[in-house]
Parts: sequence; C-alpha cells; structure tokens
Amino acid sequence: MSQFTQQVILGLLLGGVYVAVALGFSLVWGILNIVNLAHGALVMVGSYITWDLFTRLHIDPFLSLPVDATMLFVIGYALQRGVINRLIRAPLLFTFLLTFGINLVIVSLLLLIFTANVRSVTPSYSGSGLLLGSIVIPYIRLGGLVVAMALAGILWLILNRTRTGAAILAVGADRDAAQLVGVDLRHTYALTFAIGAAFAGVAGGIISTFQSITPTAGDPYTLQAFAVVILGGLGRVSATVAGGLAFGLIEVLGQSAPGLGSGYANAIAFVVLVVVLVVRPRGLLGRLA
Amino acid sequence: MTAGGRRLPTSLRRSAFAIVALALAFVILAPLTSIDAAQQAGLPLLTDKLWFRIATTVLMFVVMASGWNIIGGLTGYASFGNVAFFGLGAYTAGVLVSNLNWPFALGLLLAPVVAAVFALIVGIPLLRLRGHYFAVATLGVGVAVGEVVNNVVPLGASTGLYLPIVRSDLIFFYLMLGAAVLAVLTTWVILRTRFGYGLLAIRENEEAAAVIGVNTTFYKVAAFCIAAALTGLAGGIFAQWNSFINQENVFAISDNVQMILMAVIGGAGTVLGPVAGAISLELVIQTLAGGGTSSVYSQIGLGVLLAVCVIFIPRGVIDFFGGRSRLSLRYFRQTLRETSA
Repeated sequence: MSQFTQQVILGLLLGGVYVAVALGFSLVWGILNIVNLAHGALVMVGSYITWDLFTRLHIDPFLSLPVDATMLFVIGYALQRGVINRLIRAPLLFTFLLTFGINLVIVSLLLLIFTANVRSVTPSYSGSGLLLGSIVIPYIRLGGLVVAMALAGILWLILNRTRTGAAILAVGADRDAAQLVGVDLRHTYALTFAIGAAFAGVAGGIISTFQSITPTAGDPYTLQAFAVVILGGLGRVSATVAGGLAFGLIEVLGQSAPGLGSGYANAIAFVVLVVVLVVRPRGLLGRLA
Repeated sequence: MTAGGRRLPTSLRRSAFAIVALALAFVILAPLTSIDAAQQAGLPLLTDKLWFRIATTVLMFVVMASGWNIIGGLTGYASFGNVAFFGLGAYTAGVLVSNLNWPFALGLLLAPVVAAVFALIVGIPLLRLRGHYFAVATLGVGVAVGEVVNNVVPLGASTGLYLPIVRSDLIFFYLMLGAAVLAVLTTWVILRTRFGYGLLAIRENEEAAAVIGVNTTFYKVAAFCIAAALTGLAGGIFAQWNSFINQENVFAISDNVQMILMAVIGGAGTVLGPVAGAISLELVIQTLAGGGTSSVYSQIGLGVLLAVCVIFIPRGVIDFFGGRSRLSLRYFRQTLRETSA
C-alpha cells in the first residue's frame, strides 16, 4: 500500500514539472494558435543557464530561476517579433515547420556552445528528502512542484488581473476586434510568446535539478506538453494544472505496470493523447471549442 | 481538364518531361558501360561512388516526398508521422532478412504491406482529427513507434539490426529509381481518377465533399495507406542498402520534416512538385553536410532554410517557376504582407 502511495506522490511531483512545462506551451497555443515545436528547446536553454550559473558561480538552481525567466523572456520576445510574427496568418502547417526549424537551430546552437556531453546540476540537498513514515518526498521534486504551482498562480494573475493580460486574452478571442479597440497586435503577440518562453525557461531550471541534460533532452517535453494540454483542455490555467498532474500520475503508474519501463515515456504520452482526442476531445476541464 | 487543381503550365511540363527523358536515357545507358568502364571512359558522375550514394538518397526522398504529397498535398492532412511507415518498412525487411533469413526480395515485398496495414489501423482513429491535432497526433505515432522498436529485444532494441551487406551501388540505385517512378506514377494516376477528385474535394472542403457523396473516411484512409505503402517500400530498400537500421536512422522526425518541406517547396498537390523539391533540397543538404563542416552546421543550415522557405515562398517554387508569379522583391514583399502581423 505504501508502495502505491509512494508512486502516487511521485506521480504528482512529476506532474508538477509537466504543469511548468505545459503552461507556456498552452498559452502560446491558446492565444497565438501556434503549436510551438521549439518549446522543448527553449526549456533546455533554461536548463543550460541554470547549469552554467551553478557550475561557474555556484548559484543555487532555485535561485537562478528568475535569471532563466528573464533571459528566455528576451529571447522569446525577439523570436516572435523578429521571425514568427512574419508568419502568424499563414496556414498552420507553415508555423509548424517554422517552429521545427527554430527548434533545430536552437538545439544545434546548444550543441555548439555546450557540446553533447551529459550535464547535471547537483546541489548539496539533491539526494535528501522529507521522510513521512516509509514514504520519501525528495526536496528537489517538492521544490519543483511548489515552483510550478507558483507559476500557475502568476499566469492566472497576469491574465485575469492586469491590463496586459486583458490585451492578451482579447487577442486570443478575436484578433481584429482587439486591434479595433487599440491593442498593439505585434507587441501583444511578442509579449505572449515571451511569457511562454519565460515559463519554459523556469521549467528548464527545475528539470536540470533532477534530470541530466543534453541539447536534445528537451524534445520529448514538446510532445508531453501537447499531451498535457490535450488531457487538461485548452484555454484555462486550471485545465493545464489538472492535465499536468493527471499526466504525471498516468506516466508514473503506467511505467510501473508489468512489461513497461522508463523507455516507454513517449509511447505512454502518445496513447494518452490518442485516447483523449478520440474519447473526450475537449479534455478534462477544457471549454467547448 | 484533369483533377489537378494546381497543374503545371505546359512549358514547364515539356521541359520537365525532357529532363526526365534525358535522366532516364542516362540511367538506362549506365549499366551498359558498368562503373569500371565508365571510369575508363571518363564519363561524368558515374565514376564517382559518392554520387551514386547521393543519387540514391535523392531518389529515396523523391519517394517519401511523393508519398507525403498524397496524404498531405492532395488530401490536405499534414502528417508528421510518415516516418513511422518508413521505419516499419525498414524493420519489416530487416527482421525478415536478418532474423528469419528470408530472401531480401520477399522481405521487400512485405515492407509496404506491413506499413499500409499499420496506416489502416492508426488511420481510422487519427484521420478523424484535423489541423494541429492531426499533426501532433501523427508526430506522436512516429515518436512512439520508434520508441517501442527501441525497447523490443527481438528487434535489436537499442543496438539496432544488421543485415548482410550487399555490395552493389547499382542495384539499390535502380530499386530506389523504380520506387520513385512508382511513386510519381501513382500520384499521376490518382489525379486522373474519381478517387483523386475525391481527395481534392476533401482538401478544399471536407463537409461539402461528404455532402456530394464522397465517402470521406474511406478516401482519407485509402490515401493514408497508399502513402504508407510507398514510404514503407523506400524504408525496405533503405534497410538492405544501409545494412544497418536503428531507431535513429529510420525513425528520425527530421526526415519527416524534410519530406514535408520538399513537397511544400516543390509545390504540394502537384505530380512533379515533390520531385523537384526532393532533388533541390537534398542537394542543398548534401552540400551543407559535405562541405567539410560538421553536421551541426548542416542542421543549423536546414533550420534557417526551413524558416526562410516558409516565410518567403509559402506557395512553393512552382509558383514562380510555373510562370504564375514573377520572381522579384515585390513577390517576397507581397507574401510577407499576406501572412505577417
């Protein structure tokens, strides 16, 4: 029984990471109607910044998260304003191809700068955890979950309590109407993508604390973020949180099933994806399209 | 009037036929001399083994881009999972030849069958999805099938499968050429049948197509299966040609993106567009990779190329080579204005 409880807790902790990864992805998809295939690469940029600060300046990985967010915000703004805005009204196949190209470039640049060597961030507390009876809760995983929930809260506040957020939601609802009432479309697009990228960067910082990182380690996260958004539903922060936690649970419990192992993470994500798309296309909490 | 809503103009078609005829003549004459004889006679290209490799790779992408064109270009369903069919074809041939000691010819016959059956199974649920959902779900197919193959021990797991080496550049060149001709002919025939009209109708407006009596599910799944069979055939040939297959070389998502880009650059929905796209893009990629630089730079080059192509020539090069628009700065400015914020 405690074995099962342990699995459930690990699943929820992993789910926190998926929430962090999927928040930005979901925002960009919901508002800009872009499925950002470069999302995983942006996550890895965040991981490498955290790793770099940790190895060179011995900065605690959790303290470097604001740096990740700031740098990725700038990168994201520049990418959208300079490149993706040029294609925002094109058919979706083209934005798909474009973001795949951006992914390729970012991963290759990471390879050039940091080489393909496996890197890891190991703060002094990385091996220890909270003991509750026979159940262990690793501190870094717990920290990740807390950060993910904080991110969800911040996104909700930005979207629902600020003028910028109102502009973003207005653009998502109706571009032309938003422009008519004076929203600067180009700036708002870029801002939306920048927030998405900043969140990806923070997620990358969290990921670097429990997983070894390579330039291509971010690729699976794109597919998983997609599965999370499908599972939870598009268009709400709470839906992404529910989707992420549920997806973490499914993955951990699925991998502990007999005959499966950690090698099947993507296959599990895919099966979840197809089942949800066919059975309940609007996800757990999604609005009707 | 044929079903091809985006037919090439006559002048381009004539020159294309001339080029194809010349290439065919060259290829048919080649074995008469054999590589050694060609070397002695100093014939261009044939003296170079590298050229055969590149030519075979180009033909392989002609098959894959044409296959993608049938589901993505004609039917309008942008599949990012076609590489799964390539991998399944490769593994079908690989397992039959290396584990069960079947002759390669039999393995090669089964490769497209297995790919098509798989397309039938996943196509029925997936082709109900549209847009982003279809694209990412098929992307998931490619990743997931590769992952499963990578974990199953009889399939070589992560070490991959080795096939007995067959030392003949010519055989594989001709096999790929045959597959490429088959792919192009298939597209050509489809565009002249009721089936082809049905696919184009689905691309333009699926509800309307259903209203006028097109059995959309059957048509879509059939198109998916044909695309899968062609791609699987190329995979089967690749397995024996390369004599080593693993997850990385037959389930690469970047290959899938390449075939899409080739079809799109050349002109999706046309018969010869994917051929032109495959030849030109593959030569560019080979140049990037072979220019003494590492593969990292070729990846960056491909990424930048991808961005430039979709931003500036979203309708494919056929748009101005086909004489519909003039290649000029104004053309770029106009396409930019149409799509940008």
